[in-house]
Amino acid sequence: MALLNLTESEYIDRYGPTPLYTPEGGWVSGEPDNLVKTHCCFCGVQCGIQLKVKENKVIGFEPWEEFPVNKGKLCPKGVKRYMQNEHPDRIKGPLLRSDAGFREASWDEALDKTVSEIKRVQQTYGKDAVAFLGGASMTNEKAYLNGKFARVALGTKNIDYNGRLCMVSAGAANKLAFGIDRCANPWEDIPKAKVLILAGTNIAECFPILTDYIWRARDNGAKIIVIDPRITPIARTADLYLPVRPGRDSALAHGILHVMIERGWIDAKFINQHTNGFNEVRELVKKYTPNYTEKITGVPAKSIISAAELWGPAETSMLLHARGIEHHTKGVENVLSYINLVLATGRIGKPGSGYGTITGQGNGQGGREHGQRCNQLPGGRDINNTEHRKYIANFWGVKESELPGEGLTACEIINSIEAGEIKALVSISFNPLVSIPDSERTRAALEKLEHFTAIDFFLSETARHADVILAGSLQEEDEGTVTTGEGRCVRLRNSVSPAGNARLDWHIIRDLAIRLGAGEYFNHKNAEDIFLELTAASAGGPIDYSGMSYDRIEREMGIFWPCPATDHPGTLRLFEKGKFAHPDGRAKFHAFPYRPPDEDVDRDFPIFFTSGRVVSQYLSGTQTRRIGSLVEQYPEPLCELHPLLAERLGITKGDIVRVSTRRGHIKVPVQIVQSIRPDTVFIPYHWPGKKAANRITNRALDPISKIPEFKVCACKVEKVN
Amino acid sequence: MNSKIFQFNYFAFLIGLTFAAILLVFIYFGSNSLRDFDPALRGFAITSVLGAFAVGYRLSVWLQRPPSRMYFNRGMKLAWRYPTLLFKSSGKKMAAQTFIKERSLYRWIMHLCLSGGCTLAFAVTFPLVFGWIHFDVGALDTIYKVKVFGVVVRELSVHSLEAKLMFNMLNIAAVLVLIGLVLAGWRRLTNPGVRAVQTFVEDILPLLIIFAVTTTGLMLTVSYSYMQGRGHSFLVWVHLMTVIALIFYIPFGKLFHMFQRLCSVLVSLYQKAGKEGEQADCVICSKPFASQMHVDDLKTVLDQLGFDYRFATSKGEVHYQDICPSCRRRLLVVNQGKMIGR
Amino acid sequence: MVAPVKESKPAFEDLEFFIDPSRCIGCQACVQACGECDTHRGTPMIHLDYVDRPTGVQTAPVVCMHCEDPTCAKVCPADAIKKEEHGVVLSAAHPRCVSCSNCTLACPFGVPKQQIEMQLMIKCDMCYDRTSVGKKPMCATVCPSEALYFGSREEISSKRKESPKNEFQFGAQTVRTKVNMMASAEAENIPIDVADFLPENDISAFAQKRNGAPDVANNAVWEDLERLPI
Repeated sequence: MALLNLTESEYIDRYGPTPLYTPEGGWVSGEPDNLVKTHCCFCGVQCGIQLKVKENKVIGFEPWEEFPVNKGKLCPKGVKRYMQNEHPDRIKGPLLRSDAGFREASWDEALDKTVSEIKRVQQTYGKDAVAFLGGASMTNEKAYLNGKFARVALGTKNIDYNGRLCMVSAGAANKLAFGIDRCANPWEDIPKAKVLILAGTNIAECFPILTDYIWRARDNGAKIIVIDPRITPIARTADLYLPVRPGRDSALAHGILHVMIERGWIDAKFINQHTNGFNEVRELVKKYTPNYTEKITGVPAKSIISAAELWGPAETSMLLHARGIEHHTKGVENVLSYINLVLATGRIGKPGSGYGTITGQGNGQGGREHGQRCNQLPGGRDINNTEHRKYIANFWGVKESELPGEGLTACEIINSIEAGEIKALVSISFNPLVSIPDSERTRAALEKLEHFTAIDFFLSETARHADVILAGSLQEEDEGTVTTGEGRCVRLRNSVSPAGNARLDWHIIRDLAIRLGAGEYFNHKNAEDIFLELTAASAGGPIDYSGMSYDRIEREMGIFWPCPATDHPGTLRLFEKGKFAHPDGRAKFHAFPYRPPDEDVDRDFPIFFTSGRVVSQYLSGTQTRRIGSLVEQYPEPLCELHPLLAERLGITKGDIVRVSTRRGHIKVPVQIVQSIRPDTVFIPYHWPGKKAANRITNRALDPISKIPEFKVCACKVEKVN
Repeated sequence: MNSKIFQFNYFAFLIGLTFAAILLVFIYFGSNSLRDFDPALRGFAITSVLGAFAVGYRLSVWLQRPPSRMYFNRGMKLAWRYPTLLFKSSGKKMAAQTFIKERSLYRWIMHLCLSGGCTLAFAVTFPLVFGWIHFDVGALDTIYKVKVFGVVVRELSVHSLEAKLMFNMLNIAAVLVLIGLVLAGWRRLTNPGVRAVQTFVEDILPLLIIFAVTTTGLMLTVSYSYMQGRGHSFLVWVHLMTVIALIFYIPFGKLFHMFQRLCSVLVSLYQKAGKEGEQADCVICSKPFASQMHVDDLKTVLDQLGFDYRFATSKGEVHYQDICPSCRRRLLVVNQGKMIGR
Repeated sequence: MVAPVKESKPAFEDLEFFIDPSRCIGCQACVQACGECDTHRGTPMIHLDYVDRPTGVQTAPVVCMHCEDPTCAKVCPADAIKKEEHGVVLSAAHPRCVSCSNCTLACPFGVPKQQIEMQLMIKCDMCYDRTSVGKKPMCATVCPSEALYFGSREEISSKRKESPKNEFQFGAQTVRTKVNMMASAEAENIPIDVADFLPENDISAFAQKRNGAPDVANNAVWEDLERLPI
């Protein structure tokens, strides 16, 4: 039973998070031995950075101005990322659960323990009683290997990853609308657009480097429309700000399209030649008049008309969105509704015209392409498609019949553990206790596990529940590739070797596979071996990397997939000349009527609750809560609320509030700001335990993407005396 | 370097002359009307007198600058008000120099070696050069009489520990200085941050000069202790040259900080008085940000320097000194935003 | 005499510093990067504050503007602040600075910071350790919004609608600087207006009459808050 056996403060004492201000052993200055050209370990922009390495230590960074995406630019997280090295919290060898928390163990002992428990559980409860949870911050190589490991070595269908909490709604919608899941345009198209819609994307804080692309568009005369319940830094100077009520995004898109159709700002020729399903959408949006839409969305009718006036007749345009419209029980429907706005104008597949979702996690794009998902096989193949199954089974040298089928998604795995069906868990770089909604239920689930092995470099809050900790590697200790939010596969170089007795993540996976009797499938000598296998596996699939090599990627500073041959330049922009990836070559409109969120406000819980990120923290904070100067930047979660709401609730500056939902409550200080809707409160989610926004969020899932509804639920707010 | 130092300054010239004259008077009377004056050291004495002129000149140029004068005038008055603080602050800032420890322990040790060694060396050499301390051979040539200002204060055996200590005082000082020099040199050669901003005249030259003075001084000891005085007179000449360089570098280079840092003691007094007095509230954010005395004094100093940060507004005159630094930054930004419409 | 750190390019060449605070997103990449400098590792010198967080997310990034006739140096009683040959006003000379705060209080841009315990003023020196060997300043290299920009005058003119100005009018005082601020093309200089920001009826000066501080309440439709059960 994975109950905690130390107190919170004892865990923090021994394993952190310790906010580190000065590296262990002090600052090292002077000339480095090596400047390693690699990428940031955080968001989906994957900025180029040069790490300064001296005596096998990363001692700082130097901007990498030649890398074309960020040209040396970095956000505060990128600047301080190297502080994870020489960190006192670093797990430097395997740990086994003991009465005193954890004790050090040899690799043999730890690996044997994990494998014997996996075997015991699988013999007792069946193969699928063991689940594997991966992470989307890991390289393509690891994502590929995780999928193969789960299906070939563990033989479980239950493998999924934390990208399930990130961009799966966009991915699913992209597949439905376009037949392929990738940002349609490179980011270099943004400055060429004359109108930009930024829907539910806090670019300045979540993908800070893209800010420059937005500003360059503005410098070129572009108009910016921002859709968000909060005035984020990019919204502050926007030409048009639409303060949407949480959970009403699809209605707003319908409202804008209504005006566009009414005024004739649609490209009938493009719609006829290159799309299907427009008639249903035209019928659907008829009732979304500006006034009707205003009632649903809380966006004034005149602003909806203004948006249509800007977007409709534009010469070129880009629509970008992120988690704001995706983190919903109708995340896929929201995205599809916004895609309708793009397809209706025909402005896609051209320089300066197109569409994209901004992927949040470091390898949010690549992490979802190579078989780390419960319903997917390498090359973006479908696990339910017999042809695809046969191809991969054959490629791996296993029987198609032995290849597990579609398993549960990340949140469903946690639900299933809670229900006592899944009994053992192997996770890597995943901290569901902080990142999945309704965290008290996640805790209850973890406590029910018969066995839990966590592979990680820091002891996350989730890993405290583990029976075995296998000390893995930091991003800069391994090498490989990641695919950025624009679909560009870039190369990560290793800068230093794993700390202490820690091992490369993929070595650990291989070591486990060998002990599980599947060693023959994992005899890669280095990361490049895995990459070559991955690219070969992807050949002919929807996501084709087969023309890529480490050498090429480095030389060309990244390659956009699909890249089906070694002499293929890669595909910078999708859907050129209106060619889409569906079998009929057409894109598809989708007509989903607006429906309310899973939990809407009512008498008892009358205020909208929404969550998100701050610029100084990344995801569950496992890494960034350990870097002192980032912690200082925004030390604890604050509840943002509007002065009108504060006045109504009798709350003043400096107060602590209790924010409660049907799932629980948290107490946090307030930040009274006029930059949020008066009917909504916001709390960022990077913190654990009593300050975890995800204690109160709603785990209701989108029926298609299975993403939980992070972005809206109903709460009440009270002042704590 | 401030070019004003090199413009002829009549008042400073007079002050310089006064400093030199005072030193001459002290040398004459301190050396028992030159009876205890060692003619062999006259080169060093003349250098010192010229040095006194230069220091006096430079000090007075410095103190004529409006901000320095303001602190000096305020400080002189406040010294009477806070004698204990004056004493404490001098000990902390001038002797113990603990603020350097806050910058870094390495530099604190380095600086204590340098300043301690130099002070010790000055404390020995100046009285000897000026004839304020004089050694006479007593009845036995193993007994020395120590004369201070012409009065015999002690008789010592040359073999006594005290005598040995006394004669080797300069060598001890030299060792301290050398340790400091090595630490300083190492830092100047290896620390990238320091290397970026250092200049030869300001940062390297003083180390070289002090090094030259120290080593030639030590060589004098070596010469008469181990080499039967071979080359002694030449070495004395070289040593004199290095000392001349040092004495004249002091007022016009980095080492002048040994005088300017006296200002830090005055600053302690000034800040204490400021804290006890009325506080200035920012006219924009209404929060206190400095002492009213400081704000008012700066207005005077700015006027003297020819700056005019006054705004004539419909709500009356506003002086930028009445706005706190944080609000000034925000005013800059909102005004730029206003201008370009965001 | 002093060997340069590695091989170095000429300092600055035709490159200049440009600042456009209106583009700032407050991410603090500049602050974090500033603290990476070897001369002051761990202690950022750049300023980045919210103008007034209750009324919005506008932020004020301020670097040293490197005045042609630096007020800070003039008011220094200890001759501790020097301008070097390229016009960079350096941080206080360590041996001389007595941390009296004259510079902090007199600088019209509110730039110098005091480290009282160290008896030292520190301020932005345009990454002198980098710029003096031909590298770009850290803050302007990492800045994600190019609110801080280091490049040539031609580059900035070709990129932006705003034009660089390096003259500021503080009441009767004109201040010219090495660092440029982006302003409207027609303007001769950048006048600093104080009158508009004097507080009225105890309302925070920055909470009123300000561009760039939109209130969602003026942009949104929401149900009457009176329905909220208290």
